[in-house]
Amino acid sequence: MPSFKLLACLILFTSLAACSFKTQREEGFPVGKGEVSQVRPPASTTSAVLSLLGKARQAALEGELVKAESQLERALRIEPRNAAVWHYMAKLRLNQGKLEQAAGLAAKSNSLEKRDKQLQADNWRIIAHARHQKGDLQGARQAQEKARQLLD
Amino acid sequence: MANRSNPRKRKTPASSKLGSRKKKARTRSRKKKTSKKQKWLSFSSWPVRLFILSSFLFLAYVIYLDVTIRVQFEGKRWALPAKVYARPLELYPGKKIATAEFLHELKILGYRYAHQTKEAGTYAQSGEHVLINTRPFLFWDGEEVSRQIRLRIVNEHIERIDAIDTNQLLDIFRLEPAVIGRIYPAHNEDRELVKLNEVPTLLVKGLLALEDRSFFEHHGLNPKAIARAIIADIRAGKMVQGGSTLTQQLVKNFFLDNERTLVRKLNEALMSLLLEWHYDKDEILEAYINEIYLGQDKKRAIHGFGLASRFYYDKPLSRLNLSQIATLITLVRGPSYYDPWRNPKRLIKRRNLVLSIMAEQKIITHDTSKRVQRLALDVIPKPSGVSGAYPAFMELVRRQLRRDYRARDLSAEGLQIFTGFDPTIQKTVEQALTKRITQLDKKHNLSGNLQGAVVITESSNGEVLALAGDRAPRYAGFNRALDAHRPIGSLVKPAVYLTALESKQNQKYNLTSLLDDNALTIKSNADQLWSPRNYDGKSHGQTPLVTALMNSYNQATVRLGMELGFEPIVDTLKRMGVMSSIDPYPSMLLGAVNLSPYQVARMYQTLASGGFNTPLRAVREVLAVDGSPLRRFPLKIEQTIQPENLQLLNSALTLVTQKGTARYLANVLPETLQVAGKTGTTNDLRDSWFAGYSSSHLGVVWLGQDNNQSIGMSGSSGALRVWADIFRKLETYSLEPLELDSLTYHWIDSENGLITDEDCPGAIYIPFYKGTEPEQVSDCQ
Repeated sequence: MPSFKLLACLILFTSLAACSFKTQREEGFPVGKGEVSQVRPPASTTSAVLSLLGKARQAALEGELVKAESQLERALRIEPRNAAVWHYMAKLRLNQGKLEQAAGLAAKSNSLEKRDKQLQADNWRIIAHARHQKGDLQGARQAQEKARQLLD
Repeated sequence: MANRSNPRKRKTPASSKLGSRKKKARTRSRKKKTSKKQKWLSFSSWPVRLFILSSFLFLAYVIYLDVTIRVQFEGKRWALPAKVYARPLELYPGKKIATAEFLHELKILGYRYAHQTKEAGTYAQSGEHVLINTRPFLFWDGEEVSRQIRLRIVNEHIERIDAIDTNQLLDIFRLEPAVIGRIYPAHNEDRELVKLNEVPTLLVKGLLALEDRSFFEHHGLNPKAIARAIIADIRAGKMVQGGSTLTQQLVKNFFLDNERTLVRKLNEALMSLLLEWHYDKDEILEAYINEIYLGQDKKRAIHGFGLASRFYYDKPLSRLNLSQIATLITLVRGPSYYDPWRNPKRLIKRRNLVLSIMAEQKIITHDTSKRVQRLALDVIPKPSGVSGAYPAFMELVRRQLRRDYRARDLSAEGLQIFTGFDPTIQKTVEQALTKRITQLDKKHNLSGNLQGAVVITESSNGEVLALAGDRAPRYAGFNRALDAHRPIGSLVKPAVYLTALESKQNQKYNLTSLLDDNALTIKSNADQLWSPRNYDGKSHGQTPLVTALMNSYNQATVRLGMELGFEPIVDTLKRMGVMSSIDPYPSMLLGAVNLSPYQVARMYQTLASGGFNTPLRAVREVLAVDGSPLRRFPLKIEQTIQPENLQLLNSALTLVTQKGTARYLANVLPETLQVAGKTGTTNDLRDSWFAGYSSSHLGVVWLGQDNNQSIGMSGSSGALRVWADIFRKLETYSLEPLELDSLTYHWIDSENGLITDEDCPGAIYIPFYKGTEPEQVSDCQ
């Protein structure tokens, strides 16, 4: 269990690390070193939301997951159709052990974005986790398979 | 035994046998005397017993008072009402907001216009720029410090935000949220606690100089002052002067009303002595400063110098100047008599007296006193008092929290409750509802009996943004938004049609499947025959599913529902978030399901959020009085409708607002704004419903009468009008179709469901699962 949590933490931090870049547009969108998750906010993401994602990431790094959650909700109120933000929210829930909620949020993220294959695959993995925990082994395998196909 | 003999003996001298016993008596008299004396002193004598009894009672009473005063002082010394906040306004480049609307928001927050924005809580405006000195605020996720910021608003959009103090460009900034209400304990007391070391020395010294000069010497009572007061009272022939110490005043404020009886005075004196015995002077002084009654804001009583400072000057106590301090000291003697807004002259006179006394007591110099006496009162304009103005929403907040908190904790623990409530949207809702109802009421001769309710939520997260439960939304009466459970009529139809679109049997239904709209008669629950008819009284033969839904055909819907069966439809309603039990009778298919507007909002939220069952939330977070986080109500969603099926339904419901029963909207909404929705009408035109959504907002409107009589309006001639008035003004975004690979779009003839040309009359553009689209073409040329 601890190792799972650690893993989940790693996934979360690395995915949120995608928003660690400077938020001012003129400086571009550099990605931090040691980046694992390929999910990044789309180019259309506003500076306001990028700034909130930065705060969420900082809070998550400090272990303040509830604060991170609150910043992500702020971001969602500004850009409710930003699939990346829904995805981070799903990762956060995964990290909090709320797998069913995580799956719902991942599905929401997927319903909003059809081009970013990495994002979709990551969302399917979250759904696979949740199904596995519920004992839906076949459903979990199907979700894993979808994730794999997306990245092929 | 001796006890019993006593009363008899007292009677004996009066008896006739006295003479014959004289001798005996005489001889005994000596003995008797001594024994009498002993008895007087012994426990058996009645005066002693009376004395002991009364002492005992008195002691018990003192102990009772002692316990009472200590409980009051130490335990929950003050009941702090919970504060309920609106959503904080998020400011960021690109946000759409008109300057006027933004200034209105500042006004709600109590920001004052100032040429120089030197103080927190002030703003200035020139042309496109608004300069604000913000107040610091502790949010759930940390503090926003006080800042000087400059906003540039161009074409109703924020173009940029500069932090002048740090010379930075800001990506986002949160204004403090407005207080929209308080949950009070019984007496509507409100206060803001201060510690003694936060209180200006001048205030303490001045207060003591005026109210109790020997405060640090006495033990709770000041005999000299009391004597003086008694003399004055005797001279006047009634109680006119109080020789009260601060301690006595505190006790009086704690427990007693202003009645001036002797018993009360004694109680007060006893409690003061007890208080002084238990606590030191500083503790008593601090309690006094927080307890004393200093003003009234409608129903809300302003207690303590901390809140009084905010109330009259919009400043923390530590930042008051001498004139302001002297004014607050003056108000101790009678906040109503010296009301700064009603009786400013009287107040200035008394304030100047306070200043003179402070000079006499060498707290300030005579020069300072004279200089300050010339100053005008500088209280802020009387707050407009938004508090308590949103009864319907406040009721919802109470209900959401009632599951987690006891009523006492809600009104006494000083909780800070953060909500998603949007005062600007609420204003739009209230204006639209009141205006339209007045107009419709007149038109339909309803003599003022037409009522209504509105719920507005955020499409994606289920937050309740505005709520009205009465045609006069500020009136705290029957909350129809939450408590009027009425048949929903055709609002149920989307559940029937969604069940059809979801049915897996060979993908039997798509939007162009032909339904039979011919008249029918079926057996209803009580073995009675039921013949549902269409609203227009006509039958439409074979009609495409999408057209039947657009025009809300009853006959086609009942036939479809009977074929699908009740069970799957009830299941669909459950997945949409309908919690109440539904009777599986045929009349259910036409909306014989009683729901409140709030429950309808919960149901349509699932459609508005793209197929995700999303519980509605009024409260986001609850903080303790010291700002520590207590509880969060996070966003929760669960996918209960597959995106493809949801998209098919949403397309049909969008057509309802363009060409169907709600086509009125096509004329009044901006052309670029796509919305989806459904009208609802019940038997004999008793209820008029409309539920509709854009990609950012969901709105449910109900109109009807409390006595359930006909209002003579359908959903489209009543509720829809109110909904349109609201959404026309709302800052809302178009409903955009989901991008789904498995769907394909075609132009279809709404009469027969065949492929047609975009230019043909009655052509509609709708989605199909790939491979289920019609092959035949209907040529309009």
